[in-house]
Amino acid sequence: MSYSFKRTVFDSVIFAYLALIALVVFLSPSEEQMLNMNYNFALAFVLVGVGCVVSILLNKSSKITLGQIIFAPSHKKDPSQTEAGFTKLWCWQLWMTLLVTILVGINQTKFSFYELTDPDGFAGAMRLFKGLASPNFGIFPLAVLKIIETIFIAFMATILAIPLAFILSFFCAKNIMTSRYGFMLYAFLRTVLNVTRSVEALIWAIIFSVWVGIGPFAGMLALCLHSVASLAKQYSEITEAVNEGPIEGIRSTGAGFLQTIWFAIVPQVILPYVAFTIYRWDINVRMATIIGLVGGGGIGTMLIKYQGQALWPEVGCIIVVIAAVVWLMDTASAYLREALK
Amino acid sequence: MNSTILSIKNLEKTYPNGVRALKGVSFDVKKGEFLVVIGLSGSGKSTLLRCLNRLHDPTGGEVLFENKDIAKIQGHEVRDIRKQMGMIFQHFNLIPRHTVLSNVMMGRLGYTSTLASLFGKFDPKAKEEALRYLDLVGIGSKAHIRADQLSGGQQQRVAIARALAQNPKVLLADEPVASLDPATCHTVMDYLRKVNQELGITIICNLHFLSLVRQYATRVIALKDGELVYEGDPKEINEEWFETIYGAGAKEVHVN
Ligand SMILES: Nc1ncnc2c1ncn2[C@@H]1O[C@H](COP(=O)(O)OP(=O)(O)OP(=O)(O)O)[C@@H](O)[C@H]1O
Ligand SMILES: [Mg+2]
Repeated sequence: MSYSFKRTVFDSVIFAYLALIALVVFLSPSEEQMLNMNYNFALAFVLVGVGCVVSILLNKSSKITLGQIIFAPSHKKDPSQTEAGFTKLWCWQLWMTLLVTILVGINQTKFSFYELTDPDGFAGAMRLFKGLASPNFGIFPLAVLKIIETIFIAFMATILAIPLAFILSFFCAKNIMTSRYGFMLYAFLRTVLNVTRSVEALIWAIIFSVWVGIGPFAGMLALCLHSVASLAKQYSEITEAVNEGPIEGIRSTGAGFLQTIWFAIVPQVILPYVAFTIYRWDINVRMATIIGLVGGGGIGTMLIKYQGQALWPEVGCIIVVIAAVVWLMDTASAYLREALK
Repeated sequence: MNSTILSIKNLEKTYPNGVRALKGVSFDVKKGEFLVVIGLSGSGKSTLLRCLNRLHDPTGGEVLFENKDIAKIQGHEVRDIRKQMGMIFQHFNLIPRHTVLSNVMMGRLGYTSTLASLFGKFDPKAKEEALRYLDLVGIGSKAHIRADQLSGGQQQRVAIARALAQNPKVLLADEPVASLDPATCHTVMDYLRKVNQELGITIICNLHFLSLVRQYATRVIALKDGELVYEGDPKEINEEWFETIYGAGAKEVHVN
């Protein structure tokens, strides 16, 4: 693709973006008009078209646009033009876009100093803080029981994910799936895993809590699925980076497919595999504490219950327990991974 | 004694990216000979060796191994052929984290069922033989050291022992001394000669240095741009041949 194409597309998208925002600001359309997707898309499309024309005309008249600065290969750039300055068109383009985006962001997030400094709201937050800061250790034993459940949710999710991800990873490594059918399987599995991974574990927990009922089992399954997808990807990337020499060496002895994997690839990948697995276990402990918020069992379920009743000292106790355990697991995992290097 | 073990006929290899690495190469290999393949970098030497033991699939022609065409066989037949042809490489291609002995035992993988080998159960005789081959290449004392702790020359000798553990009829060597210093280089070549003469294993070896070729080869073939341009006695390579193989103006370098 030529750079001028990229430049034109970039410039016109920026143009359409700014023009759309200008239209919203100056015409202040009704909500109904904002929601009319067909009409809005058509409008955006037209604006991109206009942007294309503007970009081409500007560059024809040897004005340097932002797209030109970003995409032009270095030998086409005039050094005097790439220096920032107030007289430069592309600088104006850049600052305008940034400024407008920040203003839109303030509007979108309903940013408000008034709310932030509202004394009533602030007093409420302080009451909550006080509650949290004087934890009620009466529920400590229950919290301990529940955090044990959480740790085992993370543990089972990781342990069950390892063999599945291990086997899948070889089918997801390009350097192993070299035949034509192999490549098709590779592409298929990669897509499935990417989709699985892009759905957050929290969403999987909601799905599983309907399937197997609310509780630790649903949370474990959700974390496990997410771990399989993540680990398989990380494992296969390690496998793709292995040294080909030993593979040739082993194949030349007349070894079969499994023997080649076991003797030539596994010894090269085992340490990084273990490191990634420990790291995944670490993530799972953290995820397991919040997966209870959506019905995945463990300490999260307990937390959401007390939070719902605004029992802040109890919530404070739970937070102390979570923080302690997460910190402990985090340190242990970092220590283990360091020792394995 | 002088029967043909390998007969290569019109061998062609075009890589998927369109590179024609071999353009119809034909030659015979006699049982027990030390055949050296020479040629410039990129002339197709490595490709040739890998087509013989089917690490690469030839795209045309025949490879007759003991009168059977192995150019198009598939699956377990390919593995069966590889068992009978050991191979050593420029970068040794050992498994660094395993011991020397374990590396040599891997030469038995083709003879061991998958399940048994995954559990590390090899034929009990295999270990004895592995030790014997390590002695043969002079590093029996290093059997229990990790392979990556050996020097280059020692690693190459382990690779030779691994190939020998296959009990091969042919040993393919792809620039076995290209990453070694001149002194070590001779040690390794001497062991290859020993394997050739004492065990009667046919050797096909890619080499870069003509001085080594004259010293070790019983016969030479030369490749240029994927074609065979010379076949004959190593002592008959003269200035003229040298220029055909390596191009006009090339100068010979010596390894002492
Ligand atoms: N896997 C591959 N895919 C595509 N082309 C390849 C591949 N391997 C080798 N080639 C090409 O085939 C030609 C012959 O390569 P080959 O490695 O056989 O040469 P060589 O004589 O062994 O050279 P060298 O002395 O550098 O090892 C080269 O042009 C090379 O670029
Ligand atoms: Mg080569």
